[in-house]
Amino acid sequence: MKKERSKKYRIIQALRILSQAVFFLLFFYLLLGTHFPGEDYIGRVEIFFHFDPLLALTTFIASRAFFVSFIFAAITVVLTFVLGRVACGWVCPLGSIHQAFSWLFKKSKLHRPKRIKDNRTAWKYSILVFILVATLFSLNLAGLLDPLSLLYRSFITGILPVANYGISAFIGILYKLKLFSLGDSLVQSMANLAVNPIFLQGFLIGLLFIGILLLNLYRERLWCRYLCPLGAFLGLLSRWNILKLKIDPQKCIECHLCNIHCETQANPFPLEEWKSSECVYCFTCSAICPTSAITFPVRTTPEQIAKVDLSRRKLIFHSLLGVLVVPFFRLSPATRRSSPKLIRPPGALPEEQFLQKCVKCSECMKSCPTNALQPAWSEAGPEGIWTPILVPRIGHCEYYCSLCSQVCPTGAIQELTVEEKTKVKIGLAWVNKNRCIPYDLGTPCIVCEEHCPTSPKAIKLVKTEVKLPDGTIMTPLAPVIDTDLCIGCGICENKCPVVDKPAIYVTSVGESRSEKNQLLLDLIKEKSGPY
Amino acid sequence: MKRREFIKDLAVGGLLLNFQPGLLAQGKKSPDLAWIQGESPAQITQEAISSLGGIRQFISRGDVVVVKPNIGWDRIPTQAACTNPEVIKTLIELSLEAGAKEVKVLDNPCNPANRTYARSGIADAAKEAGAKVLFPNPHKLKKMALKGEWLKEWEVYTDFVEADKIINAPIAKTHSLCRLTLGFKNWLGALGGNRNQLHQKLDQAIIDLAAFFNPCLTVMDGYRILIRNGPQGGRLSDAKLFKTVVAGVDYVAVDAAAATFFEVAPQDLPFLRIAHQKGLGEIDLEKLRIEKRTV
Repeated sequence: MKKERSKKYRIIQALRILSQAVFFLLFFYLLLGTHFPGEDYIGRVEIFFHFDPLLALTTFIASRAFFVSFIFAAITVVLTFVLGRVACGWVCPLGSIHQAFSWLFKKSKLHRPKRIKDNRTAWKYSILVFILVATLFSLNLAGLLDPLSLLYRSFITGILPVANYGISAFIGILYKLKLFSLGDSLVQSMANLAVNPIFLQGFLIGLLFIGILLLNLYRERLWCRYLCPLGAFLGLLSRWNILKLKIDPQKCIECHLCNIHCETQANPFPLEEWKSSECVYCFTCSAICPTSAITFPVRTTPEQIAKVDLSRRKLIFHSLLGVLVVPFFRLSPATRRSSPKLIRPPGALPEEQFLQKCVKCSECMKSCPTNALQPAWSEAGPEGIWTPILVPRIGHCEYYCSLCSQVCPTGAIQELTVEEKTKVKIGLAWVNKNRCIPYDLGTPCIVCEEHCPTSPKAIKLVKTEVKLPDGTIMTPLAPVIDTDLCIGCGICENKCPVVDKPAIYVTSVGESRSEKNQLLLDLIKEKSGPY
Repeated sequence: MKRREFIKDLAVGGLLLNFQPGLLAQGKKSPDLAWIQGESPAQITQEAISSLGGIRQFISRGDVVVVKPNIGWDRIPTQAACTNPEVIKTLIELSLEAGAKEVKVLDNPCNPANRTYARSGIADAAKEAGAKVLFPNPHKLKKMALKGEWLKEWEVYTDFVEADKIINAPIAKTHSLCRLTLGFKNWLGALGGNRNQLHQKLDQAIIDLAAFFNPCLTVMDGYRILIRNGPQGGRLSDAKLFKTVVAGVDYVAVDAAAATFFEVAPQDLPFLRIAHQKGLGEIDLEKLRIEKRTV
């Protein structure tokens, strides 16, 4: 018998790697392009998300409203029905990173693959059930574990800032070596890329991502095998697909190479144990088979294949867990009273609906021109971890910018035109007269007023009597805020020259999106007569 | 006259004739200020420079020139918060005509640089004219001795210090602390550091800065001036079409002239008064030779 690896499948494998590279580069290109493009309209840089049926389904169930852009997810669903989990093997950029690292670890002998037969592949189905059941109660946890959300969030708040730091340090060295023109041009191209360099959770999110990559030391594509809820969802859909593994018993020498090198533990051999729900069609088995015994012929006739290990008992248990977890995620004062620091980007839906739709992807944080949007930790309760909040001390909301509302893939931030956006209040500014330079020291300042972007300005300067320590009286111009005009953009807090704790600061009260978080009852104001 | 002196004078005279024939041939002194009004920002800028004797008076062959516009705010030209892009474009074109080796355009804005550069129209206009448009480069910040009365040292972008010639190209706007923000205050855009703290003694700070940067030419953009809600404006009605450019070597005189755009007497602006007292320039417009024309 001729011993030869299949040329055809080696070519298909090469094509698969090419496809992965192309989609990864596309992901990276769109990610880097998520910044102010020189005009008000940014284009569909968030398009990857709209092909994600898990996010489509969870935001639909949680918010009971369908977001039209998710129509593309139907393509992924149909593709998976027909061809199986090719989206995992050929497209998913996170899957590609895992595969690349697995390959690296294998090549460097840090990981030696062996045949594994365990039922931990079922974990991801449990995670999926858990997430879906929670969404029935409007608790949307999909963003924490959805591969695209995880990938974008990790890159935006962790990986890119780290890279940016590294490049800056490198440029510093260039200048020390007196390579000025090279340094200059690098600085200018980095400025054009406009990578946001500071994120409050960047350390944690970045480390988590590295941790997930290191899991590949234990099993190849461990994330895809055991954890990915999107993979599980596509696995459930892939049972009836037409690409079915076939092993030619005449050729097979039972060497188990296919099982050892299977990326996702789909168990190609023996044929009865092959799980089409686990197969991502990477074609490693058919390319590695020393006798070309493995093929993937197109077949429409049903075939006896191993089913997803989802027993009824497990299903009920994980559904119950999904129900039980809801009150835990809602144990937060944020559900009763708005946190003053919970300043959402302009266009954000009212908090309850916002949390139902936000998938914690950080796209808004990438698009923000001032680095103002940051992943929340405790401000919005456990349910709102890693959702976007505006931290004025880091950056302000740029007046003529509505990019975050354009890039939000789920409509948690409603798309606004620039003109609409300038009318949205995200909070109100307050002067801390105990720290303000004119109020406290009688010295002129006016920086907040100078930067206030509204016209007429929401910060007025009023001559104010101030007593100095020696008893003399000064009358400097001091800031007073017109709450009707203030939109809470936070540039005053950002630019306040009181370096540590600003003398002017923004809190969420007065935000347009909330009915409750208001300062004055407009009713009383309008009917001035009887009061 | 000693022989030695005679030979020296001959050499100097010869050099003068060689390099500056225009100066001697003209025979008349160019005005202190050119005050040009007209419909096109580019044309009035060009006229202002030629009234002062042409760009070659200021820029020599091989010079590295920095043009310093005001690109401080994320605003479009009709809002009159940043220098008119056509004024900047004309200045760059003229400098390159005069043989400048390189023209750089940069500012350290208050809003994000990539937004202000693009939306002010200055980045495109300057690139079209052939200038290098640079985002402020933190690696080029250097603490420098400014030797000012109040401002002893501060972080400065070295592009400004390394240039052979600086052209200051501000826009005339109202400001709540200086009353008006003109050429003097434009120098805050050449600084890094926590410059918001300069506001505690802003008048003195900008005098020290103007004396330090000492531009070879100041071109005040008064095509649109900001009469309200400065220094950013916002509503189009905050800006007023004024169709004027004032240019001159004496930067104090240019700002003094610009003050009158707003019907403010130069003597009423503390920074101009103090600068004049220090002998940095003239603020009495009566004492200046002003060429005022409409084109």
